[in-house]
Amino acid sequence: MVAHLLQLKLDILANSVRRSRAQTLGAFGGALIAIAVAAVILTSVSPLQTTTSEIARVLIVCAGSFASFLFFLLPLVFGADDPLDPRRFALFGLRPAPLALAIVVAGLVSIPLAVLAIGTLVNVSVWNADPATGAVAIFSGILIIATAVLAGRVCAAVAGLALSSRRARDAAGMVVSLAIAVSAPALVLLGMSDWESQVLPIARRVTTFASWTPWGAPWSAAGDVAIGRPIDAALKILIAVLTIAVLAAAWFIIVRALSARNSREAVVVERTALGWFARVPASPGWAVASRSLSYWGRDPRYGLAVAAIPVVPIVVVVALLGVGVPAIFVSWIPVPVMCLFLGWLVHNDIALDNSAFWTHIVAEVPGVADRWGRSIPALLLGVPLILVGSYVTALISGYWLAVPGLIGLSACLLLVSLGISSVLSATSPYATAHPGDNAFAQPQPQSDAPSGSGAQAIAFFGAIVLSSPVVYFMVLGNADTASWYRTALGAGLAIGLASYIGGVQLGGRLLAKRAPELLAFALRN
Amino acid sequence: MESPAEYESGRKPPKRAAGRPLAARTKPSPTKKPGARTKPAKTNKAASPTAVHAAVQTTVHTPVKTLAKRPVVPTPQEPAAEVLVVRGLSKSFDDTVAAADINLTIAAGSFYGIVGPNGAGKTTTLSMITGLLRPDSGSIVVHGADVWTDPAQAKRQMGVLPDRLRLFDRLTGAQLLYYTGVLRGLDAKTARSRAADLAAAFRIEDAMGRLVTDYSSGMTKKVALASAMIHSPRLLVLDEPFESVDPVSSATVTEILRGYVDAGGTVLLSSHSMDLVQRICDHVAIVVNGSILADGTIDEVRGDGSLEERFVELARGGRTVEELEWLHTFSN
Repeated sequence: MVAHLLQLKLDILANSVRRSRAQTLGAFGGALIAIAVAAVILTSVSPLQTTTSEIARVLIVCAGSFASFLFFLLPLVFGADDPLDPRRFALFGLRPAPLALAIVVAGLVSIPLAVLAIGTLVNVSVWNADPATGAVAIFSGILIIATAVLAGRVCAAVAGLALSSRRARDAAGMVVSLAIAVSAPALVLLGMSDWESQVLPIARRVTTFASWTPWGAPWSAAGDVAIGRPIDAALKILIAVLTIAVLAAAWFIIVRALSARNSREAVVVERTALGWFARVPASPGWAVASRSLSYWGRDPRYGLAVAAIPVVPIVVVVALLGVGVPAIFVSWIPVPVMCLFLGWLVHNDIALDNSAFWTHIVAEVPGVADRWGRSIPALLLGVPLILVGSYVTALISGYWLAVPGLIGLSACLLLVSLGISSVLSATSPYATAHPGDNAFAQPQPQSDAPSGSGAQAIAFFGAIVLSSPVVYFMVLGNADTASWYRTALGAGLAIGLASYIGGVQLGGRLLAKRAPELLAFALRN
Repeated sequence: MESPAEYESGRKPPKRAAGRPLAARTKPSPTKKPGARTKPAKTNKAASPTAVHAAVQTTVHTPVKTLAKRPVVPTPQEPAAEVLVVRGLSKSFDDTVAAADINLTIAAGSFYGIVGPNGAGKTTTLSMITGLLRPDSGSIVVHGADVWTDPAQAKRQMGVLPDRLRLFDRLTGAQLLYYTGVLRGLDAKTARSRAADLAAAFRIEDAMGRLVTDYSSGMTKKVALASAMIHSPRLLVLDEPFESVDPVSSATVTEILRGYVDAGGTVLLSSHSMDLVQRICDHVAIVVNGSILADGTIDEVRGDGSLEERFVELARGGRTVEELEWLHTFSN
């Protein structure tokens, strides 16, 4: 049976280039990435051999733990459609123990695992100078591969079980994309930092911790021997062996359970309460608000946008630090930028409803109520963000005098962008991901339809332009006296409230006038 | 369950003389009358109106009782009101005429069906009536209020079920019903209790806690229909209410709609099932290529044959299928 499954896995691998052109391209792309990673790993051999044992160990543990961790994480996200899912063998009535073994052996045939194997070979070649460390490196290499292959199986099976619902997969996918989004600026930051004084100390701290985790332990063992800590090395080998034992036991239990029970049981989540609806007054405006709040919580199209908000300031901060803006100004950036984006989010809200907007038309929901109702989630997130965020900013920068100004600027950006968005979502909707579709899917607009970049830019720069007086007062506060910060607070609140109320009124009126056209637009897209 | 015969007896408006202009049609009385519809020798006198009403009240669930208690029902002394008057309604998309000079007068208490082949303009017409699609010309007056100039007043009288439009389906069934209720101006307590009543009547109580996006298409239709009725409108405008609804649910829905009409409500529905329209409606309009080719009571429109025969005759415009003569000589 092992031979059979091995053959099956090899066929799957070979057939991955025989599918549609797009899928073949994807397979080649994946292979190219794998080759690139392998090349990077191989070029690291000679620098690692020439540097000191201590530094080599730190770097190997950091990179190795990360790689091993991916073998746990990625199957959790992408493993739900695993071709070697034990459930697929349930109908053949195989005995669980040989099946478990066969699937694991077949799982050895995989491109990521080959790359990992190259990594373990690098580990061996770095410690090869001394026979004792060399032997430990070879042994821990075997442990690393075994852990990775078992982890891949177990996590894919868990993904199939726990993440079988659409919502759970949406959420998991979102977490991973976010992790990637966050790690990009982090890498830039890392690349710009000074290697000796900044990166290495962090790497050392990470190593101290990571080398005792199941992921880092086998990567650390040989290095431990090399820097003269054989007892640590023995303990880490023990950790690695125990990890494998636990994973193997888990795997066996999973296979036995799954090969007996084929169906995925749909998890029905019963929500008896009315949720947000029960917590607010019963009026059209508040009903729209609670509907929006439910959607912000449940619909990945909103969830993704909200989750991206903390990422945006990271990019801005990195960019500004890169061009040499003083740290005190940079520390002011994140909260106002997050507020700006929070308000900007709702600028295409009606298009997100798609044709469900008819509910509002036939009920003749007052335009103004629709407008302010939809802005409630942003306000509900924004107000605590402004208060807490401004406080934290002052805590970091140590510059408490600017707090009123910061609050004024953030509130102004939030309210102004909400006001502009309220008008734009009634006048300039553009095609967006349909309800239930992938939140990342941005539909190709029809040739005559607006692409949305105009509305996006107006919502964004309009808010900045209207808030510029507040920015000016902030700069004066820094250059002149701190009383300008209080002026900034007053001006920010005044401009913000005026824009918000004006935007809601105007947007409401336009909405009432254009409702059938907005529905027609939703039906075309 | 009541038998169809009992239904057919109780509430038929007097037959109007065929061929008179639409506007001059005799208005059917909104109250239940001992029926005069010439259905072939069924037990017309078997059930008195009160008996029928009682039967409706016992078989149909609570919300229908609630609806029946509404003060909407005109008193018998009042002249029968026209609940919907459509005049000269037209709409074209680019070169396609979707509705051409549609005239409709629907009296309170009628069960009105619009039938037509696919693409005849049924959805276009109903969308304009419900305020979802702006007409090129024409007027729509619902209970004295024009839909496009006094929308607040007109739309309050109307419950709407559009075809193939999404719902806010990331809400649970209970939330969706409550949401529609509150948007329609109900207070929290009323919205909550009516939502529960409707869920019971449509037999979807078990699904109230689940997201509507996880419903089957029939259940989605039922929850949409329930939301259309939650503010107890005078007029229900339903686009294909029976599409993708299973026979049992269809019977439930029919029963609820009949109870509603018996209590003085008015239903305007579209369908491409002649059978269904012939069975449950008392008036029908046949729409082909955006125009009404025939309208009146079912019996007037269908004449001697079945509604389906009449419909096919009208829709085809007398043409028979001749184009496929080569199909009659078989190749060797």
